[in-house]
Amino acid sequence: MSDKEGRPDQGSPMTDPAVWRGLTQPRVSRRQLVASAGAGAGALGLSGFLAACGVKGATTTKSSAAPAKGAVGSAEWWSKQKLHHTVNFANWPYYIDVLKGKHPTLEYFTQKTGIQVTYTEPISDNLPFYAKIRPSLQAKQYTGFDVIVMTNNSPPLGYLIDYGWLTPLDRSMMVNFDKYAGPLVKNPSWDPGNKYTMAWQSGWTAIGYNSKVIKNPGDSVGLLFDKKYAGKVGMMADPQELGSLGLLAVGVEPATSTESDWAKAAKKLQQQKSDGIVRAYYDQDYINHLKNGDTVVSQAWSGDIFQADLNSKYRDLKLLIPVEGGMSWTDNMCIPMYAHNPKDAMAVMDFYYDPQVQAVVEYYDDYVCPVPQAKNVLLNPTGWAKSALHDMQPEIGLPTSTTADAPTVFPTVQYVKDSRPYYQYKSPEELAAWNKLFLPITQGS
Amino acid sequence: MTEVRRRARLGKVLAPYLLSLPAGLWLVVLFLVPLFVMLSLSLDTCNPATGGCAVSWNWAEFPQQISLYHSQFITSFYFAGAATLIDLLVSFPIAYWIAFYGGAKKNFFLLMLLVPFFVSFVIRTVVWEFILSDQGFFLGSLKHAHLLPQSFHALATGYAVVAGLAYNYLPFTALPLYVAIERIDKRVLDAAYDLYATRRDAFLRVILPLTVPGLFAAFLLTFIPALGDYINQQILGGTNDTMIGTVIQNSFLTSGDYAGASALSATLLAIALLGIFAYARLLGSRTIEEYL
Repeated sequence: MSDKEGRPDQGSPMTDPAVWRGLTQPRVSRRQLVASAGAGAGALGLSGFLAACGVKGATTTKSSAAPAKGAVGSAEWWSKQKLHHTVNFANWPYYIDVLKGKHPTLEYFTQKTGIQVTYTEPISDNLPFYAKIRPSLQAKQYTGFDVIVMTNNSPPLGYLIDYGWLTPLDRSMMVNFDKYAGPLVKNPSWDPGNKYTMAWQSGWTAIGYNSKVIKNPGDSVGLLFDKKYAGKVGMMADPQELGSLGLLAVGVEPATSTESDWAKAAKKLQQQKSDGIVRAYYDQDYINHLKNGDTVVSQAWSGDIFQADLNSKYRDLKLLIPVEGGMSWTDNMCIPMYAHNPKDAMAVMDFYYDPQVQAVVEYYDDYVCPVPQAKNVLLNPTGWAKSALHDMQPEIGLPTSTTADAPTVFPTVQYVKDSRPYYQYKSPEELAAWNKLFLPITQGS
Repeated sequence: MTEVRRRARLGKVLAPYLLSLPAGLWLVVLFLVPLFVMLSLSLDTCNPATGGCAVSWNWAEFPQQISLYHSQFITSFYFAGAATLIDLLVSFPIAYWIAFYGGAKKNFFLLMLLVPFFVSFVIRTVVWEFILSDQGFFLGSLKHAHLLPQSFHALATGYAVVAGLAYNYLPFTALPLYVAIERIDKRVLDAAYDLYATRRDAFLRVILPLTVPGLFAAFLLTFIPALGDYINQQILGGTNDTMIGTVIQNSFLTSGDYAGASALSATLLAIALLGIFAYARLLGSRTIEEYL
């Protein structure tokens, strides 16, 4: 971030809590009222408007390595926190077990701990959601959520960590995590030592294809550049997904790529477009086009292909993790700063690392499971999981062993070896350079 | 002069201001303030991470954005223009028929015109995605009957985008046209026939001139929103038909380039305002009040 914006705010009167108190609390003396009205009038300049609209300069600087003694997230701070028996959990849609409009694992959590969970699904994209909570964080206020779920392949998670807008986790409350978390999500490159995050689910962005049309898919990303399927190839509009695929196609590891590699990848993708190979750049609806037959091969998320396969109509859809690698991403639970119920948040986050609980989530979800032990639970359910899985079976319509045996849920050694991490942007300028190369490809006219 | 009378006169003076207060506040809070913020943002330099913006009087943002995205502007004009033309051609007979032959059921027919609007804009467009899909109900059957080559596709083309725009904005064209045609005094038609006008003459020389203001109102009400539309292209379009609305949306949400997005929005707004201004000069502002 630039020096100018990093400077502490030079006192925008609109954000002074005293002003709000003056304007909103009834019991003030007349003199106080006049004073605060004056301050309010002063705020009606441009800076005041912009501040009110959340577009003022940042007030935070990059967080230091370890929380200072007594600071938010330190051991002392955590020892002072108390359970409030309520927690606000924000997640992506269709990402947790559902049975008859309820979430069995959340009910089990409430039953075990007495903590009520308000579970909402307001996140459908990383950046817009980040833009929504950022003004609260800048104003040092509660965002309304105690747990949020952010993807590691999109810039906001890095922003949240860099600007100190995540509460460092309480190590002492990560009992299940320490015991059961798998190697893919323990001590990950985007959050060394799991200081701020615990994975919710992971997945691959790889290639989905229709095996009825494509008999010999080969094993390479070259499939997406094959002129035989011109006009029938779907690519993703997201610049991170598109650019990473381009890098794999020019033989570069995305995580260690340089700006000149990006230019090469962009050229390759531009060529793919001008050759008429790409039908369109899709968002989440790419899967419908693959199902409809509008596309016969497409960039695809592993969980989507698995779920489509469950329907006999779409059994021809197959997932290919190319030899160049499948981009592996992880959605991470984290606690935003100024959360009102951090201890309850820790409790619910760690609860999802119980293999019994995770097995139930996975039976519905089919993304990559962060808890390898959940496989055994799915194969031989016991205890609470046994009855929960039994209740869900009629609606899911599959034996639990299907989930347990899916390499896209419990990855094989080969799948793990083929996983590639995304590039981590080191500055906003880098991200801008990346977007400048890959966005124009999707925005042709 | 008594106190009471003076007060009454004061009330008379203040009444118009008080009455215009709700509309005035609405205009200021929900239009002028956001407009001001947008215009000032277009001259700022922003940090996409923090959303922090600082005024840098960067006028170069405008030529830079326009040179980057002028072709998307042109595409938007073509598509919005084509969709508006289709809507005018389709909705004129509809409006004419309802106004002249709707009889007692006029309101019912108007309601039918609006019924699709009870479904969300995005849902309506996504449904078209299913109807027009390559192997779907419509194209799939035609291909099966060998009436269309296997490689034919309607989705992911500019035609599909124009069709989607035309479909979604049709009521915006039909309703002002209906108002214009409905208010024509039917006796002028009788007079035309009495003076030996043929049906064609009566339409071209009596009906059409009388509906011109309505046609312009319909044009503006359809063309301007279609120009900034960002849904139809994303759902129905392909790789080479991006409209400026999509670019603005991506600049805001994907790149966090608030300055660039604001500059593009301001340019689009300026073009739309020029259109309205030209309209007002050509036809007078009175017709705007009547039809918009």
